[in-house]
Amino acid sequence: MGLYKKYIGKYKYKAKIRNTFIAVILLCIAAVTLFPIYYMIVSSFGAPTEAGGASYSLIPKAFTLDSYKFFFDYSRYSVRWLFNSLVVAVTVTVCNVVFASLAGYAFAKMRFPGCKFFFFLLLVAMMVPYQVTQVPLYILVVNVLKLQDTYVALVAPTLVTCYNVFLAKQFFTSLPTSIIESAKIEGCSQPLIVWKIVMPLSKTILSVMAIMTFLGEWNTFFWPFLVCNSEAMQTIQVGLKNFSFANTTYFAPMMAGATISALPMFVLFFSLQRYFLEGVTVGAVKG
Amino acid sequence: MQKRAIALLMSVVMTAGLLVGCGGSSSSGSTEPSAGTEPVAAQEGETKQESGEKDVVTALLPPVSGTYQEKITSYIEAFNSENENIEIQVTTASWEDMTQKLDVQVNAGSPPDIAFIGSDGVSKYLDMGMAVDISQYLPAEKMEDFDEGVLKYFCNGDGIYGFPAYCEVQCIGGNREMLEAAGIDWKAVQQNGWTYDEFREAIKKGVKQDGDKTVYGFLFACSGVAAKDYFGIFVKNAGMPAAFDKDLKYAYTSSKMLSFLQDIRAMIDDGSMPKELSGIDAGKRWNMMLTGQTMITGKGLSSFEKSAYDNTALLNAGDPNAVEDSIPVEYIVLPVPVFDGGMQQAQGAVDGYICLTGEKDPDEQHLKNVAEVAYFLASGQRAAETCQELYLKPVCETGRTEYEKLPAIPDKNEDNTAAVEFLTTQVAEARPDIPAELGAKAIRIEDEVILPKFQGLLAGEITPEEMYEAIVSAGHETFGEDGCVAD
Amino acid sequence: MKAMNKAIKGRQSRKVFKKEMMWSYLFILVPLCTFTIFTLYPVLSAAITSFQKYRPLGSEWVRFDNYINTFKSNLFFKALKNTFVYSVITVPVSMLLSFSISIMIIPFRRKVQSAFKAAFYLPAIASGVALSFVWKWIYDPLPTGLLNSVLGVFGISNQNWLGSSKTAMASLIIMAVFAGLGQNIIIYIAALLGIDSTYYEAADIDGAGFFQKVRYVVWPMVKPTTVFLSITGVINGFQSFQNAYLMTGGGPDNATTMAGLLIFNRAFKYFEYGEACAQALLLAGIIAIFAVMQFKLSSSDVEY
Repeated sequence: MGLYKKYIGKYKYKAKIRNTFIAVILLCIAAVTLFPIYYMIVSSFGAPTEAGGASYSLIPKAFTLDSYKFFFDYSRYSVRWLFNSLVVAVTVTVCNVVFASLAGYAFAKMRFPGCKFFFFLLLVAMMVPYQVTQVPLYILVVNVLKLQDTYVALVAPTLVTCYNVFLAKQFFTSLPTSIIESAKIEGCSQPLIVWKIVMPLSKTILSVMAIMTFLGEWNTFFWPFLVCNSEAMQTIQVGLKNFSFANTTYFAPMMAGATISALPMFVLFFSLQRYFLEGVTVGAVKG
Repeated sequence: MQKRAIALLMSVVMTAGLLVGCGGSSSSGSTEPSAGTEPVAAQEGETKQESGEKDVVTALLPPVSGTYQEKITSYIEAFNSENENIEIQVTTASWEDMTQKLDVQVNAGSPPDIAFIGSDGVSKYLDMGMAVDISQYLPAEKMEDFDEGVLKYFCNGDGIYGFPAYCEVQCIGGNREMLEAAGIDWKAVQQNGWTYDEFREAIKKGVKQDGDKTVYGFLFACSGVAAKDYFGIFVKNAGMPAAFDKDLKYAYTSSKMLSFLQDIRAMIDDGSMPKELSGIDAGKRWNMMLTGQTMITGKGLSSFEKSAYDNTALLNAGDPNAVEDSIPVEYIVLPVPVFDGGMQQAQGAVDGYICLTGEKDPDEQHLKNVAEVAYFLASGQRAAETCQELYLKPVCETGRTEYEKLPAIPDKNEDNTAAVEFLTTQVAEARPDIPAELGAKAIRIEDEVILPKFQGLLAGEITPEEMYEAIVSAGHETFGEDGCVAD
Repeated sequence: MKAMNKAIKGRQSRKVFKKEMMWSYLFILVPLCTFTIFTLYPVLSAAITSFQKYRPLGSEWVRFDNYINTFKSNLFFKALKNTFVYSVITVPVSMLLSFSISIMIIPFRRKVQSAFKAAFYLPAIASGVALSFVWKWIYDPLPTGLLNSVLGVFGISNQNWLGSSKTAMASLIIMAVFAGLGQNIIIYIAALLGIDSTYYEAADIDGAGFFQKVRYVVWPMVKPTTVFLSITGVINGFQSFQNAYLMTGGGPDNATTMAGLLIFNRAFKYFEYGEACAQALLLAGIIAIFAVMQFKLSSSDVEY
């Protein structure tokens, strides 16, 4: 809104020209990024036959929904997998948004002993490669706590991620301290400040966080695969890579499965868009 | 605005609560079947488990053959209903995923009871102290069911740590029409093998320029880690069947290695193999085989015959699902050429079921059950059906008996069958005499020196001499000059 | 601003301050608990293991052997160098690109913005399986490969993208830039939308043009975001190994061997978990140094 020059009256055509120019550039990039998804959908319409070699074609030659049927006929757990993924992703998303924003606010706007130390601790933990921490984590969750095949095991390690705390902290830093201070002077308690001032002002970033967390969790493969042995407890990503789909020779059904598992992401993305794009202006709150 | 936000948050929290609620109850529901089994078993199987539970044997399995994962369910149902005191629980996943899960579990000290692995991994799990010597738990006749040479792949020292499912010959394969057009008597090659010089001439003849499309004589999937396959399969025929000779000296420092590497490079310099070889992966090279862009390809498995046959069938039926631009291909199994100073020795990939435990004092009865299950999976009808699907012969007597009862594969190329059987007899012998520690060091050199340098050699960035130097210096550094072959 | 804060704080009674302290600890309680159990504990456990020859059924203390072996290994340093080059190129390029794209998306109507954001963000995460196939196709070394056919139009001969040490690293970097683009864009847009329009109005009054506004209003305002993206980018960059593992296997001639790949191989291929832990901690130390540097470079005017 304010960044680009506003053309008024007879100069409006200038804005049109400028926007068209930008749109062309963006469309070119979009063509590149959209290509894999196009390829995925096109390939999913092939027949569920075994093909040893890769097939390289841009234009669909065959059109059949057999591969989709193959997916749903394949396991009696297909729907259950979708449900499990939903439970896990929703729980993790809600917890992350709530707790990460509380902690992010504390780190950004509150002063307390150990503030810097705790924050640095969170950051350092992100820096140790996952390859070595997953073994102790597995020992803890499976061998010690005996949480194998439970929702708790799926959810707990990512309940609040350091990444999200950091993200929230960085965004809350740029909120004007003056509003918070004046709220304090008016006798607002800290939880009320978060609820009434910080959250509404940060809807955009919180919905971005929600979307990224949800999709990340939805896509997670290795951890759920590690801690779940029973078929009934698998998530959709684990189920998809299981059985025949593990065999890359069944190319079309694999792509059909990937397309099905991508659908909920699209639904969520577009339904959260509203919150996503509302550029809440600080000025509006001030006034 | 705020009301909307509150409403949204509330609804999200509530749905989450609801979902978690149902989830919790249904998860406890789903564990019931395994817990609530018949209380008969306990008296017979004197396990330390609480009374009323079967002894559970867990197995981690990949898609061994095309329909293996469907069949395994019925195998296990059959076993579980026949055996009152044992219950098999299977987890299946793709090769790569199951290997990763297995390795995390092994590092965490809680592996599954049985895992399907390549036999080259036996020493690794043994070194971790997790492999179980099952020879003491089963009667000798069950051990003798397996061909001795193949069973050795699952041995180390005196112990037997699992059973082989099959022995797959890894060689190369050609397009019949093109072979004949180039004047290659493939039947004679199948029977008598060929030398490197003969092979080099043959693949030169296979090269054709078809408009702007080049047809190559020979092609191997070499992209990324796959370059190791090319090296491993070909070096067997260069007089170095294993990384160590009979005196446990490191063999790859031999001067035979240098001439081998020069020969490998020469095939690319001849133009018989594409200069982009180092970037071609398995999917791409099979695509090139089916689209007639190469005469011979590797690595070749005998089941490729089926893949080529199926695509030809699709082509003939006018089915659009056939690989784009493909041509009818009849796949011919061919042996790997013999290099100077070598003899024909096929690369055999022996995969099978290893028995593992993560406990310091494992329960004897449980281990006996595990061994029983491993034997069950590797023998009889299971072996017969798995091998037939891979176009192989079973490696155990009970498997072969069952194999005879199966309906024959339609339109099987009998020459290929004979060639594979012949090559199987030449599979390089297992080396249970190589200590685990020594083997691990050799694998490290292979991964950190040989593989990267070989990739460089194929890409034309390193000369055979440079690569040989690197191997020699790594060998000397690791094993000392006395520990390496010098000739 | 800072002076004012101090003044306000001075006026606060001890009681209020204590109350605020209590709240702040309460706010970080849940993250800190889950963090301690599921992150800190594994990290400490790995730190202990780094002094052992690890065996699940009883490890052996080896003091600093794992570290000494690591320092003796030329490959480890080569991998560090590769990882460094990879991160140092990937992170700024990806951020510059996503920043520019975000700015270009802003002038459009909301529906159009959504469409572009979806187009840039969703494909990368929704089509993981297809993605690896497509990249292999793009980097197909024969003249018929996607990228090579495009270059062929300009008369450039085909390149062996992943197979040659001249192009392998660049190919991986391009992949990484594209993979991270979508996420960076949606975070940047969130930051851009948070900029109050009064700042632009003030700039307008000063007669600032578009690029001046980007330079003097937008760039400083999104600085916390830039810091966030660059630090998490560097963390990811230094730890990355999947692409190298799948596409090049570290080759040719170790040109794309990453530190993460070495650690992975140590831990799971050779079961030298102790040495893997030592290497991982060294890597974490290096990342920490970079992160501190980034904070120092940017801290001068981030917090206001």
